[in-house]
Parts: sequence; C-alpha cells; structure tokens
Amino acid sequence: MTAAAVVRRAGGAVLAALLALFILGPLLWLLPHAFADTWRYPDLLPQGWTLRWWTAVADNPDLVAAVRWSFVFAPVVTLLSAVICLPAAYAFARRDFPGRRFFLVALFSVNAFPKIGLYAAMASLFYTLNLMTTFWGVVVVQLLGTVVFMTWLPAAAFAAVPRSLEEAARDAGAGPLTVFWRVTLPLARPGILVALIMSFLAAFDEAQGTLLVGAPTYTTMPTAMYSMVTNYPEGVAAVFSLLLSVPSVLLMLGVRRHIMGGHLAEGFQLR
Amino acid sequence: MVLPPLLVVALFVGIPVVSGVLYTLGHFGGLNSVIASIGLHQHPADHWWGTLAAYREVLTSDTFLRSLTVTVEVTLASVVAVFALGLAVALYARMSGGRTARLVTALAVTPLFLPAVIGSYAILTFYAGDGALTTMAHALGWSSAPRLSYTTWGVIVGQVWTNLPFAVLVLTSGLAAVPDALIEAARDAGARPAQVVLRVLLPMTSVPAVITATFTTIAVLGSFTVPYLVGPTAPTMLGVQLANAFQSFNQPQQSLVTAVVVFALASVVGVAYVRSNVRETRRAASVTR
Repeated sequence: MTAAAVVRRAGGAVLAALLALFILGPLLWLLPHAFADTWRYPDLLPQGWTLRWWTAVADNPDLVAAVRWSFVFAPVVTLLSAVICLPAAYAFARRDFPGRRFFLVALFSVNAFPKIGLYAAMASLFYTLNLMTTFWGVVVVQLLGTVVFMTWLPAAAFAAVPRSLEEAARDAGAGPLTVFWRVTLPLARPGILVALIMSFLAAFDEAQGTLLVGAPTYTTMPTAMYSMVTNYPEGVAAVFSLLLSVPSVLLMLGVRRHIMGGHLAEGFQLR
Repeated sequence: MVLPPLLVVALFVGIPVVSGVLYTLGHFGGLNSVIASIGLHQHPADHWWGTLAAYREVLTSDTFLRSLTVTVEVTLASVVAVFALGLAVALYARMSGGRTARLVTALAVTPLFLPAVIGSYAILTFYAGDGALTTMAHALGWSSAPRLSYTTWGVIVGQVWTNLPFAVLVLTSGLAAVPDALIEAARDAGARPAQVVLRVLLPMTSVPAVITATFTTIAVLGSFTVPYLVGPTAPTMLGVQLANAFQSFNQPQQSLVTAVVVFALASVVGVAYVRSNVRETRRAASVTR
C-alpha cells in the first residue's frame, strides 16, 4: 500500500468516526435514558435501571393513540398526494405547455413560505371551511408538505424514460395505456418510490400544522413529542423517541438503495 | 392533469397567503374576520390600500431586530457548515468508493429518516449540562466543558444535523454524474487529487451546489423545531418568534408580518435557484444542439 493510500484510508476512518459520533451519538445517548432509574451527573452510567418509563408510555392512552394516528395519517396523506400529484407529474414531464416552469415554481413556493407562518395564515380559511379539529383538516395540512416531492421527483423520473422505448412499444401495436403501464411506469418506478418515501416521511414528521389543526382530538407522535419534552420526565420522552425512531430506521434499511440512487437530486433540477 | 395539485396549493396556500398579506396591511374583512376578531393589538387600514403600521411596529422592535440578526447568522453558519461537510462526504465517496465511503454516506443520510423533533430532542439531551459531551469531558478531567443546549451554537449544530442528508444526497449524485473518464484523463495528465477536485469535479457540479445551498438556506430560514427545542429562549430565530407572536402573545398580525419578512428573504434565495437552473438548462440545450 502506498503512503497516499494509507493517508486516505486513515482519513476515511477519522471522517467515519467523527460522523458516527455527530449523527448517531445523540440518538444512542437516549438509549440509557430510556432505562435509567436515577442518573446523577457526572457518572458515565445510571445508578439504577428500570422499565417503568416503558410501562408509563404503554399505559398512557394518549400516547398510544398518538402512535395510532401517526400510522393512519401518514399513509392516507401519501396515497392522496400520489393520486393528486402523479398525473400532474406525468404532464409536467411529457407535455410542453405555456407556464409549465412557472407552475413548477409555484408548487415550490409552498416550501419557501415559512411553514409556521403559512399555518397561521391558513387558520382563518380552516375556520371558514370547518376544517379545524377534523380528520381531513389534518390530512390537508400534512398534504401540503408532500406536494413538491410528489410532483417534482416523479416528473423527473417520467422525463428520464426514453421516448424511443415508448415509441417502439407503440410501433409494436401497444395502445397508449399499455405503453404507460408496461413501459413508462416500470422505468419511472424507482423515482416514484423515492417520492412516496419522502412524502411519507414529510407527513410522518409534520408537527406544527397538525398541532394547530388537529389538537386536541388528533394528536400524532411528533405533536405528542412537543408536550412530552416540556411536561414529562426525561425517561418517558427518551422511550417515546426510541419508539418513534423504529419505523424510520426500518424504512431506511429497506429503501436506502433507492434514496441513494440520485433520484432526489435529479428531481430538484428544474427543466 | 396539472390542475389538481395546483388547485390544492392555490386554495390552501395561495388564498391564505394573499389574505394574510392583506391582513398585515390592516384589512380585517372576509377570511380575516375570524382572526381579526380574536387578535390583540392590531393596526387597522387607514388608506384604501391599507397601512404599514404593523410593519413599522415589528421592523423597528428590538426583539425583531435581534431575532433577524440571529436568524441571518445561524442561516449563514449552518449553510456553510452543511455545504462543507456535505461536500467532504460526497467527495470522499466519489474519490475512494470503498466500504468506508458507503458507511460514511449512509451515516450522513440517517437524519433524513428521523423526525426533526426526535433529532432536536436527542441533540438537546446529548449537548446538555449533564449530557454525553460534558460527562465524557468530566471523566477526562475537564470539569468546566461548555454545554451547547439552549445556545445559538446548539441551534447551528441541530441545523447541520437535520439538513446534512439532503446536501449529501444532492452533492453525491452531482459528483456521480461526472464521468470517470474525465477524472482518469486528468490523472493521466498528472493532476493530483486536489487538482482533480478543484479543476474537474467542482466545476461540473455547479447546479447541485446551487440546489444544496438554496434549499438549505430556505429550510434553515423558516425552521421552527430545531431553534424552538434546542435554542435559547431569547434571542430566538424568526420562526420561533412568529410562533410566539401567534400562540403566546395572540398577535397574529405581528406574527404574519414576520412570516412575510422570512418569505421575502427566502424568495431572494429562491430566485437565485430558479435563475441558475434556467441558465444551466439553456447551456445544456445549446451543447446538445
């Protein structure tokens, strides 16, 4: 091995170690907190261990309901977003119409307005439309955070499907729908999958709007977490954080390959 | 086909934003009647177009100016740090490409999958006065190690933590698009790794770089969770400031004025993003032609 290779390998190991400390350190530090009975600074480990924070979470109907609502809202929002946005994504990719880029940027403006300011402005409209403290009100508020992902990423995926393949299928006698189902959709699938994941995470993560629109009837895990940080013992918040991380970590292990594939970056290049 | 998402955005974002801006100018009718009937300390319109009294009040207040300064400082520091760290990870992955490189990228992308509120809480606990860093420092004999929780530095750390994945994903894929042949040609011509990076890789990733910088800027400018949980009570970032005005002080007009200011800052960055994209598309079109 040359000296340069040794330096590079050592550099890589240092980078990996520092990054692991920075990214994973805070998450791993929660682990002993979830089982700590008493833990006085500056001891490196707790003085005693307990499971009572876990039973405290399991016995609290509000927290259990928050877990349930999180897993109801995120899939509903993701599916609804797909239904609303995917046809638009296809049109953005395949049709050139006046104002095309303007509309893409208009969708993006949702992200440029500070979310909390947007929710403050939306409150009046929600009162007028009787959407406050309703299931569909929460769906709408979470849906808004998914629109950019669900239009831009699939649009880039559709645009990347070579037209020659579609034309070849058409020449072989396939109708437009067959071409779409058998050629276009399978080739665009990885990009659409990334859009679905990003939308699911955006809905799952949304807390501010859900709190404003849904509380106190509809509480999700992130909104429950806000009150937990301030009102509950540290151990309960630590347990809840770990529980909240489980679906995310599973999702990550399942889809990392697709996320890393460059679809995200591709989708954010306006064309 | 394009209509459904545009209608959703026009109805639930466009209309509220327009009526919200009218409200900041003192127009209390229509959609604003509910909010105007419960808000405190409001400035009603005194001209046909409205009044700038709410803007004058907010923009000249000390709290706002301090929040604005903190917001700009945190945004600049976070964007520079996210960009530098993201670029280091992406370049390392591109140049070495081994198992460690894949591990490093996977680590950097992890926060993408965790809700920001979890990340913020974990960071708050980790960097607290009785957190991991001070505990370890104490074990090593340094008993007065600083804590980052409830400080502006802690907010920057939290912003880097939450925004790093997007930067790494976009920069990695930008660098991956540079053909190997170009890098090898440069190496054959005697370029050292640093020269390959500066002369070949970086110039060819200008659009991903702009995407990273603009999206991170917009995300940090409008952020709420990280500064709310990790940061000090005062001065806060504008996102927390406007939430406080809305929820704690019941001053929706002042809250929306702050939102308009954040939006104005974000749009400056947004315009840079759109322009750089348009320029790049034109350039690409002229090359293929």
